This record gives sequence, structure tokens and C-alpha cells, in this order.
Amino acid sequence: MKRKMAAMAMTAALVLGTLAGCGKTENAQPETKEEETVADDASGEAAEETETAKEPQSGEEKTITIWAWDDNFNVAVMKEAANVYAQSNPDANVNVDVVSLSKEDVYVKLQTALAGGGSGLPDIVLLEDYVSGKYLNTFPGSFADLTEKFDFSQFLSFKVDAVTQDGKTYAVPFDTGATALYYRLDLVEQAGYTEEDMQDLTWDEFIEIGKTVTEKTGVQMIVEIANNKTTLVRAMMQSCGLWYFDKDGNINIKDNEALKSAFDIIVRMKEAGILYEAESTEGRAGALNNGTVVSVVNAPWFISSIRQAEDQSGLWRAARIPRIAELDSSINASNVGGSSWYVLEKSEVKDEAIAFLQGVWEGNTDFYDTIMLNQGAMGSYIPGYDTGVYDEEDEFFGGQKLNGLFAEILPDVIPVNFGGYVAEANDAITTALANLFEGKVTIDEALEQAEAQLANQLGR
Amino acid sequence: MVKEKIMRTAKRVILHLFLLAAVLISIFPFYWMLSGATNSSVNITGGAMWFGSNLKENWSNLQGTANVFLIFWNTIKTTLIYTFLAILICAMAGYGFEKYRSKGKNVVYAMFLLSMMIPFSAQMIPLFKMASKANMLDSHVAIILPTIAMPFLVFFFRQSFQSYPTELIEAARVDGANEFRIFFQLVMRPMKSTFAAAAIYAFMKQWNNYLWPLIVIQSNEKKTFTLLLSSLSSAYYVDYGQLMLAIVLATLPIIIVFLTMQKQFVEGIVGTSK
Repeated sequence: MKRKMAAMAMTAALVLGTLAGCGKTENAQPETKEEETVADDASGEAAEETETAKEPQSGEEKTITIWAWDDNFNVAVMKEAANVYAQSNPDANVNVDVVSLSKEDVYVKLQTALAGGGSGLPDIVLLEDYVSGKYLNTFPGSFADLTEKFDFSQFLSFKVDAVTQDGKTYAVPFDTGATALYYRLDLVEQAGYTEEDMQDLTWDEFIEIGKTVTEKTGVQMIVEIANNKTTLVRAMMQSCGLWYFDKDGNINIKDNEALKSAFDIIVRMKEAGILYEAESTEGRAGALNNGTVVSVVNAPWFISSIRQAEDQSGLWRAARIPRIAELDSSINASNVGGSSWYVLEKSEVKDEAIAFLQGVWEGNTDFYDTIMLNQGAMGSYIPGYDTGVYDEEDEFFGGQKLNGLFAEILPDVIPVNFGGYVAEANDAITTALANLFEGKVTIDEALEQAEAQLANQLGR
Repeated sequence: MVKEKIMRTAKRVILHLFLLAAVLISIFPFYWMLSGATNSSVNITGGAMWFGSNLKENWSNLQGTANVFLIFWNTIKTTLIYTFLAILICAMAGYGFEKYRSKGKNVVYAMFLLSMMIPFSAQMIPLFKMASKANMLDSHVAIILPTIAMPFLVFFFRQSFQSYPTELIEAARVDGANEFRIFFQLVMRPMKSTFAAAAIYAFMKQWNNYLWPLIVIQSNEKKTFTLLLSSLSSAYYVDYGQLMLAIVLATLPIIIVFLTMQKQFVEGIVGTSK
């Protein structure tokens, strides 16, 4: 009998013990982390007076929390920035904590925390230029105005435009989606063309070359994803300085000349039999690595997928993307995607966060060299393009000066107003293209439907 | 006679062929997951089906990306504590609703069940506010606490306790046993399979929990496995070998739990408690 009582008491104790146990550990953690204190001792004694004067616990080390996605790209880049800053500012007394999340997760968390009143937010957050407008509109005043803090004339103008709203610039521009045409030179040569022939094309010329290459080699000329062809659409559209939205943020789809031409070009590619429709992003990478397609249009970060096929080293080349012949505004340069760093207005270490961004992202060309070499991250800081890194030859691309090519393309990219709802617009365009491919509608009807769908979704 | 025998054998052959096909279909994703964990990303996107030699490299890549052991420990810890507490609380609640008499009991119970109809996305922001006011952001307590009284489990336990004879409880009371003793010794033991089924359910639910930990966890050191998988899969260049290996690690515990408790699980769900 007594033993049984004891057993029960044990159970109760176990329950209480676990409860109390976790309570203790968890409560202690959010305040200070052990590693930080260690780092604190290493990084010197006093905090910098100017930045920390108004903070209640000046003198103590402060943590700048950053949310970003992709461990091998954005996260790695920000960790490098933290190292550079720690070395060049040994007495800044800050610790940079980069939290790695998926892109979608960053948005879900940010949305919840902003809607929930602002606690649990990071100090710096990475946002895509395509979506940031949505957050700036929905949560006005949540992001710090950086207009006076940086010399934005040193950054690419189309990037600065993308993070500027009502004359205020809210972010430090980071990576760009400078668009290039990556192609297999060996296959192109088999069809009797040279590297020279692939420069500064129009899409009409590209289709002609594509027909010959596909005919002679049996390999289809260009790859896009079957249920989302918007990479090509967006590349073509911005090459004309047009977008889903006009300068004032109004939907601009049904009367958008660039979209009409883009639809026409993609349909013609399909009809000519040179368009390989991959079933997914994995299928696209697989097709490129297997040699089942000749070329792809995409951003610098896409190169790492191409490089995976080590046996194809030396066979690849990159060129400027084709332009739309019938539109005079179209140039051989465009952009797909890209992202920038935002500082949260309510951050307790807002000044330190801004000082950190100033210290590394403005003026430090060595840093830009390092991230270009290690992560292939193409920054938006113009003086960064003048360094030796951009003269380096890339073996995988047959000794081509790949970085130099991007540095050449970037200043040409025409600024557009991304409007903040690119994902929604992409959905509408994808549906319209699918209807068009099935032959149900004409191009004009397809675009009208897309405009109606988007307007409906955005409640305009 | 002979004809009948042939007919029967033929039926069985067809049945087994059909079942074999069903087994292959359900086993294949697991096989592909395992083979993928040993292949390089290029081979996977290229459609490799057989085992490769990249397991070691995938493992070191995964280790380089995140502290896998810590994340694994975080997930195990939160899941086990959660499972234990959720079962204890829900079983007691279900027992109370079923065996005790009180006014308004059924109204409370109905309201409690109704709360199942509120989707989690609608509770997210208020819950987040509560967690932040209670200073619980970025802690494992915050992952465990909010769903510890799970309406479904309370309902499940109440239904199961219906089959437990009330006379036994009354007899024990007459003999002088107190209520806790009745519950822990008299009621809990014969209902083992019910508890096992609930344990699997709670374990899976917490192990796969994604949205809430995502919102409430702030630092890399507190992450759970679902968050790691999510961040691995959204890189500009997704390393599928690494991702597949992480998925294998994330799936193993559930397979182990399910296989070891399968018998009880089925019994508990069917409701044949002995």
C-alpha cells in the first residue's frame, strides 16, 4: 500500500519536476546568451558612446538579430559581414545573430509579429524587392527611414528605386537578379553558330538560332517551368522598363506592350518546338545538368545550379539576354528578383543596426569582393564593381569574365515600380499563359483576364 | 470441389497482387527518400533510383548547415514532454467529463469541442501576443503549452472511458480508494491501448508541428526539425541530397514510434480495450 502511494508521489514529482525544469531553463534564455558574454569579453570593454548613449544598459554587449534565408547565400553573406564588422570595429560591442529561416517563414513570422503589436521582431530583416512594398504599405512606420543614413547614389538606381516609397528609402540594397542567358556553347557550335552569334540578340534572332540548334542537335533550345513561365516574362518585361504595375502602383497588364510581346514570343518558341517545359524547378535543374536543354535565362544565383554538372565544365557561356525587336524601349539587360536589408523602426538596437549596415555595406569593397567570390552574391554597391574580382576568368564558363559581364549589365537595368504584389501578379499571368497555350483565348483576352483576376484579388 | 478450390486460389492471387501493388505504392516514397539520402543533388534531380555513394558528403553538408544534433534534441525534448503532459491532462479531463456528475458539464464540453472548429491561423496572432506578454517568446515552453489541452484528445478519452464500467469505480470508492488512486491504478491500466493510441497521436502532432514553432521560436539554437526542413528547402540552390538526409532523420522517430506501438494504436482506435 505504502509503496503504491510512493509510486504515485513519484509520478506527481516527475510531472512537477519536468514543468519546473523547463520553466527555469526557458525563462533564463531570452535575456542573455552565454556565447555572447564570452564574445563580449573578447571584443573589448567600453561601448561606443555616440551610438549607445540613449540606451538604458549602455556598456553591455548588444545583439543585433537578423532574419534571412538560404544558409549558403544570404545567411553566409551576413555572417561574413558580421566578421568584417567585428574586425574593423573592435569596440562597437555588438554581437550579430543571423537566424536562418526559409523565405516563406520569414514572411509568416514578420507578418504575425507586426500584426501582433511588434514584439518578437528582429532588428534587421531581408525582404525581396518584389514583396517589400506590401509590408511598407500594410505596416507603415514599422521600418526605419534610412534616406539620410546612406549615400544611395553609390548604389544601383533601380535597386534604390525598388526600396523607396514616397521619397523615403527604407533599405540597403543587397543582391540583384541581373539576368543573363546561360547557354551550352558546344551545342550551339554543333549547329554552326559561334559565341559571337549569341551576343546582343533579339528574341526573333534567338528563335531562329534555336530552330537550327534544335533541328541539328535534337536538343531543345531553352527551358522554362511548365506551370510558371514568369521568369522569362519578367525578364522580357523589365528589359523594356515596364512592369505589372505602373509608376503609381496601378495594375498595368492588359495594355502592357511588353507583356503582349512576351506572350507572343513564348508562344512562338513553343510552336517552333524549341521550348522545353520542365515540370518543376528540380526538373529544370535536372534538364540543364543532363544536357537535355541548351540554354536558360536567369539571375546570377542560378549559376550554382548549373555548376553542379561538373562534367560540363568549360562548355557553358553567358551572354546578355535577347531584347524585344518590335519595342524600341527594350534593351539587352534585365533583372529577375533581388532583395534588400530593412531595419525595424522599433528595434531596441536600431542605431547599432544602422551603424553595422553602414560599416560594412557602404564603402567596404573588400567585403563585396569576398561575398562575390565565396557566395557568388552580386551586390548593388557601384564602387564594388571596380575591383579585380570582376576581371577574374571563370573556368566553368570557358574562361569568360562572368562577374564582369554582370557588372556590365547591371547599370543598364531600367528601374520599375515592383508594386509589392509580384507573387499575386505572377499567379494571374501563369493562368493567362496556360489558357493561351491551350488555344482557348487570344493574347489580348488572356491579358484582360489576368488584369481582372489580379484586380479582383487585390480588391481594386 | 476442385473447381471451387481453383476459384479460391485465383481469388487469393488476385487479392495479393492488388495488395502488393498497394504496398509498393506506399513503400516507394520511403525507398526513394532513403536512396536520395545517399545520392548527390545532381543525381537526384537526374532521376537516380538506386543507392549512391554520397551519404557521407550529404551528412557533412548537413552538419555544416545546421547543428543537427541540437535540433534533434530540441525536437525530441519538446515532443516527449508535450506527449506526456497532453496525455495526462486530456485523459484526466476526459475521465472527469465522463465519470463525474456536475451541472453544466455538457455545456462546457460542447463549447470545448466547438473550439476545434476555430482554425489555428485565426488563433495565431492572439496566441503570439499572449506568448509575448508572458515573456515566453523563443522558448520551448511556448511550443508546448498552448495546445496541451487538445479538444480532440479529450473527446477521444471521454469516448473510450464510456466503455469503462462505472460500477468498478464506485466499488473502489466504497473500499476507500481516493480519486487519484482510482484513476491511476484502476482506470489507467486496463485502458493501456487507448493511452498508446493517444500517445502516438500527440507525438506525431507535436513532432510535425510547424506553424506555431515557426512563429514563436526566434533563435537558431531553439529550432525544431520542421523549421530546419523548411529552411533547407527554400535555398536558391536546393541541395536535395542534404534535404533527403534531413527528411530521413525527421521521419525515423515517427516510424519507430508507430511500429513499436502499432498494435495498441489499432486496438485503441477500434476501441477493443481489454
